[in-house]
Amino acid sequence: MSAVAAKPAAGGAMNPTAMAVGIVMLIIILGICYVVSPGIGLMALIGVVVGGVLIGFGTHFVPVGGAPAAMGQAPGIATGVAMLAAGAGLAGLFGGAWAAEQGLVVAVVTGGVGGGLMMAITCMMVNFVYVFGMGIPSASGKVAKDPITGDTQAEFKSQGTEGHGLPFISFVGGVIGGTLGGAGGTLIYIQLLSLYEEMLPGMMQITEAQVMPIAVSAAGMFAVGLFLVNAVLTAYNITGTIEGPHDPKFKRWPRAIVASAVASALCGLVAVLIVVPM
Amino acid sequence: MEHIVFGIGITALAGALATVAGSAEDTESNIGSQGDPNSQVQLAPQMGFLHRIFNKAVAGEPPAYGLWCCLGAGLAWAFMAMQFNPVLAIVLGCVLATFVQGVYATTAYVGRTASLAKFGQPVYVDILKSMTSVTMAHAFIAIFCTVTLCHLINTALGHPFPLPLLGLIWGIALGAAGSATGNPYYGKERQYQNQKFGAGVPISASGNIVRFAEAGERNSIDNGFFTHKIGGSASGICFGLIVFLELWRTVLFEQVSAGWGAIIVGVLIILIFTVIDRYIEVWARKNYGPYTEAKEASS
Repeated sequence: MSAVAAKPAAGGAMNPTAMAVGIVMLIIILGICYVVSPGIGLMALIGVVVGGVLIGFGTHFVPVGGAPAAMGQAPGIATGVAMLAAGAGLAGLFGGAWAAEQGLVVAVVTGGVGGGLMMAITCMMVNFVYVFGMGIPSASGKVAKDPITGDTQAEFKSQGTEGHGLPFISFVGGVIGGTLGGAGGTLIYIQLLSLYEEMLPGMMQITEAQVMPIAVSAAGMFAVGLFLVNAVLTAYNITGTIEGPHDPKFKRWPRAIVASAVASALCGLVAVLIVVPM
Repeated sequence: MEHIVFGIGITALAGALATVAGSAEDTESNIGSQGDPNSQVQLAPQMGFLHRIFNKAVAGEPPAYGLWCCLGAGLAWAFMAMQFNPVLAIVLGCVLATFVQGVYATTAYVGRTASLAKFGQPVYVDILKSMTSVTMAHAFIAIFCTVTLCHLINTALGHPFPLPLLGLIWGIALGAAGSATGNPYYGKERQYQNQKFGAGVPISASGNIVRFAEAGERNSIDNGFFTHKIGGSASGICFGLIVFLELWRTVLFEQVSAGWGAIIVGVLIILIFTVIDRYIEVWARKNYGPYTEAKEASS
């Protein structure tokens, strides 16, 4: 089956047993963290899990059409789910890290706005190229009318295609996805940075000023790594392409949230354990 | 005041570098056929259409550019730690990263094309010799501009991330912006130049890419020449706007209302782009019109 013809039917089914196992694993990992580092370590891990869940959920909003979109055969942005989400989220992380000194809330919101800004510009330029470079209007293949604008879609699909370009709902989905991704990545960074700033001076017997470059680098690398873990995990949940929040595949998000929480908890535990004296 | 003026100057320079980087990235990926449209280059021989198009898509553009820019930035950072002049350090780091890109391009082309041997697709040595150096030249421009803007962000604007991490982040963002904006133009307008303008490629036409030029067989340098005019320029504007506006709102408004100034300006910019996008969408619907009569669609 091609990516264009892929339907969410069988792959979209929820497996309650697997979900329950995932939640139990999450509780076990949080329990391990509580035993080895009950205070700041556990708080950092919870922040990492929340950030990971935001990234996983946000990736579902990003309209990605993959190879079929590159030929105008399907709506969405012509690249991979994980890569586009990572590009937007990391642009947000860049802004959020810059604002880290101004507090958690300002930094996380700044990161979210940075990710949303990247996606807004990219989505607008995609439609610009489709309309003015290729002479093709936007049309969704999954809904009869755009849920926001009410524009009809079917008659704007060219013959033999599933649709093309980015209808307005996909644009909005892209901005929301970038915003959630940027906020999640920044939250992970800030939580790990706070942990490392607290723990590393005692561990390495150096001053706080000396520890800053190491703490910033380590927290930044873990944030980028966790971003890619969650974005790729969600890409497997989406299986190929998605148009945005109106796509039937979007309903699969609960499964990705559990998977993202477990994966983030496991990776976050490693990030915590490297600074906890055993 | 002097600090802000200096920051705006750096922001403008970084935005200009990003524009050149985005344009070079898209052209490089189209000459090397690394984006999603390469699925058709890989598919064509299987449908009986042998061609002389380069084929190096063993990784997406974002991770590939994340690697090359991180490598260039990391090596430049190491050279600077060895007391090299920053300009020399960045040039040397980017040259070494470009050699890695050249090795990647060579092995990817040979490997991907050899996998099509059972369909009779030959590995053209002259294509390998003539195209690889052209992709390397474009890759050097893209990597050099990205690493330079990362260096400016790090040293002149004071971003806390070290240079290699900034290289990774902006390399991935460069690949994401370039592939998102440039791929449709390469895929639809160039590879399927024989299809109708103003419509998507019918799924039944998959694999039947244009393989002949005005004289002789088409090669990937022709594709880079063609796509650079719109796809490359649009990718450059896209990445340039992302870098410029992200830096501009931070440099000018970060100190307003304890950080909320930059957030409000960011939201306003998003709303402006939303209005522009909606205008483009409505403009296309009005001016191009529907392909068929309106009818009830099945979802």
